[in-house]
Amino acid sequence: MTKREMKTKEIGQDIGFDRIRRITGYLVGTTERFNNAKRAEERDRVKHGI
Amino acid sequence: MIREIQKRNGDVVPFDSVKILNAMSQANKAVDGENMTPTDLLFLTEKVCGCINEDICNVEEVQDFVEQILIKYGYGKTAKAYILYRAEHTKIRNTESDLMDIYERLTYSYAKDEDIKRENANIDADTAMGTMLKYGSEGSKYFIDNYVLPKDIAAAHINGDIHIHDKDFYMLTETCCQIDLIKLFHDGFSTGHGNLREPNSIQSYSALACIAIQANQNEMHGGQSVPNFDYAMADGVRKTYKKKYRHLMNQYFQIRFGMTEEESKEAIDAYMEQLKAPLTMGNADVIAEEIRQMQMPNGLSVEQMEELHRYVQKEALTMTDRETYQAMEAFVHNLNTMNSRAGAQVPFSSINYGTDTSPEARMVIRNLLECTEKGLGGGETPIFPVQIFKVKEGINFNPGDPNYDLFKQAIKTSAKRLFPNFSFIDAPYNLQYYKEGDYNTEVSYMGCRTRVLGNVYDKTKEVTCGRGNLSFTSINLPRLGIEAHGDIKKFYKMLDTQMELVIRQLMHRFKIQCTKKVRNYPFLMGQGIWIDSEHLNYEDNIAEVLKHGTLSIGFIGLAETLKALIGKHHGESEEAQQLGLEIIGYMRQRMDLESKKTGLNFTLLATPAEGLSGRFIKIDQKKYGIMEGITDREYYTNSFHVPVYYPIRAFEKIQIEAPYHALTNAGHISYVELDGDTCKNLEAFEAVIRYMKEQGIGYGSVNHPVDRDPVCGYTGVIDDVCPRCGRRAGESVSIEKLNELRKKYPDVPIYH
Repeated sequence: MTKREMKTKEIGQDIGFDRIRRITGYLVGTTERFNNAKRAEERDRVKHGI
Repeated sequence: MIREIQKRNGDVVPFDSVKILNAMSQANKAVDGENMTPTDLLFLTEKVCGCINEDICNVEEVQDFVEQILIKYGYGKTAKAYILYRAEHTKIRNTESDLMDIYERLTYSYAKDEDIKRENANIDADTAMGTMLKYGSEGSKYFIDNYVLPKDIAAAHINGDIHIHDKDFYMLTETCCQIDLIKLFHDGFSTGHGNLREPNSIQSYSALACIAIQANQNEMHGGQSVPNFDYAMADGVRKTYKKKYRHLMNQYFQIRFGMTEEESKEAIDAYMEQLKAPLTMGNADVIAEEIRQMQMPNGLSVEQMEELHRYVQKEALTMTDRETYQAMEAFVHNLNTMNSRAGAQVPFSSINYGTDTSPEARMVIRNLLECTEKGLGGGETPIFPVQIFKVKEGINFNPGDPNYDLFKQAIKTSAKRLFPNFSFIDAPYNLQYYKEGDYNTEVSYMGCRTRVLGNVYDKTKEVTCGRGNLSFTSINLPRLGIEAHGDIKKFYKMLDTQMELVIRQLMHRFKIQCTKKVRNYPFLMGQGIWIDSEHLNYEDNIAEVLKHGTLSIGFIGLAETLKALIGKHHGESEEAQQLGLEIIGYMRQRMDLESKKTGLNFTLLATPAEGLSGRFIKIDQKKYGIMEGITDREYYTNSFHVPVYYPIRAFEKIQIEAPYHALTNAGHISYVELDGDTCKNLEAFEAVIRYMKEQGIGYGSVNHPVDRDPVCGYTGVIDDVCPRCGRRAGESVSIEKLNELRKKYPDVPIYH
């Protein structure tokens, strides 16, 4: 959030959701910073039932 | 019959077979024992031309034919020289134009559009310093490829047989280090830019821990880990408690008994002098007992003194607890906001804890977990430090163990915040080093997964502190699987060749590292962080002490390799699992053999592969096309993992992956992906962790979606619409609505 956005009455224009994922043992604050291959891998992950 | 040839720049020129002849002749001259006569050369040239059926052919195709013909007619060595010559030329051609092309992309494109700017997700390459770092990194790679690496090794990296990690730092430093803060803090230290006294409170302990991590990170290319965070911070808590106790007693004396400052000081000194047991949180009762035998200061009664002690100790405990919370909160906040590497990155930090059972350490761990669960200023999930909870039977694993409550708290925290991860001291290959009560023998992990514990160079120092990885290089395992065409013997033969090459490369790099002096690493070596460097002078060479570090071969895509070899991966078939274990076991044996031969720590790594995940496969897709289950995705599967897309039960995945942990002594990690909000199913979470431990996993964690809406502060699972404020990604919400929401959810950020 920039200071300017804080001054306007509507908040959130063009702001996405943070999706925090484990990448190789560590976390990454948002998948936007993932490289293309890691993005694809994250997309393909399936859940493991207990 | 070929008439024309298409050059790489697209120009079409008349075909000239003499060029082929010359190229073969040159390659032949470069090798011994395969003398070609002019007749041989003419014959071979004719054979190459005979392969070309088209009118127009491109240079690459012609070169492929040359390789094939040389091999076919028994000129194996010449063929090899020709391949090297070709790789060399490709390399030079690529770098000359590519380096400037890369600089252009780094300068004019945004990271969101350029994969090259997102190699490492924790670096913001859109910032000035981030871009500067990339210029340096890309320029350095060019230099290393063209002027430093032996030709065949450079070619192997460029063509995707191997990947030399952190190649840009080839001439400079080592990967990572496990920092012993207790040793560092003793008598204070210097960052190279100023001296710091030994810290005297938990708040200074946590502040200095950040500074140490940051300073060391700036001298290495990998991350920094603290193996004994609980033990180290406990010392700070002890000091704070003592200070608070004294401070409170002083107030009490002055207010309750009307003493002057001076009288109070004397009374406290007299009292403290008589104390036999150390003044610690755990000794409250022991001290109360001692008071009954004591000479009372200033005519106080024993009852008065004991009452005073009880009050002061209780208050000191509360105050210390509050300060510890603040110190831990500051620690986490700092590590998520402070910069390293010219501002491009937060320090890559990991902390290990969970086994110190002293009341002070327990206070540290409890508060650290509490503030992790609470999140950062806006409720965000802390990304750093990577937290690793060390699980150990008898200490924290079972009900009745002294730190069992903290294990439970760790699970609860991880279910919300993804951290801590869990490491397992009881796994046999970790337990063999363990000595009760000695943190230096407890396995510690770098957040990414690196593990350094065994030590063939010095068997008396099989410890975690002061050691780290020197460098690592990964092998493109799936390519070997593809090239073997189902022939397992051939596969192993190629694997041998590849491992020989990488060992040679690791040694090449190691020799460069060994030429450095203490002065090149004023903090890491100058402050004695690296093991045994405390005995060196500024101008001394670091070659000997570096031998405590590890040289590692890594790998990627065991699943795709198995697919290529026998049509199934290890998640699908028992046969594949057996073969997988055999291959990785074979690689480990080779590493052990090399360690024995050289007395250096050669170890096998389940490569983390962030930047590498897509690199090999991209090259292999061009080379082999799309092969089902092998090259048909954008990434090769991480290390020995069961493919992420393959449906499998959590327990089965753990069972399959666990035996690989025992083989990969340079590091490993396994994850399980759980669905939905794990906070609501802590039993399932704990069951997974317990099963990991029982199966012999060394380092593991549970993945689950942690989404956050930065606008309303909601943390949890968000599909398309935020369950709290109802907006979709990119949509706005009114401040009024947010103010309304804040009445119900106090963590909604405040907008002015």
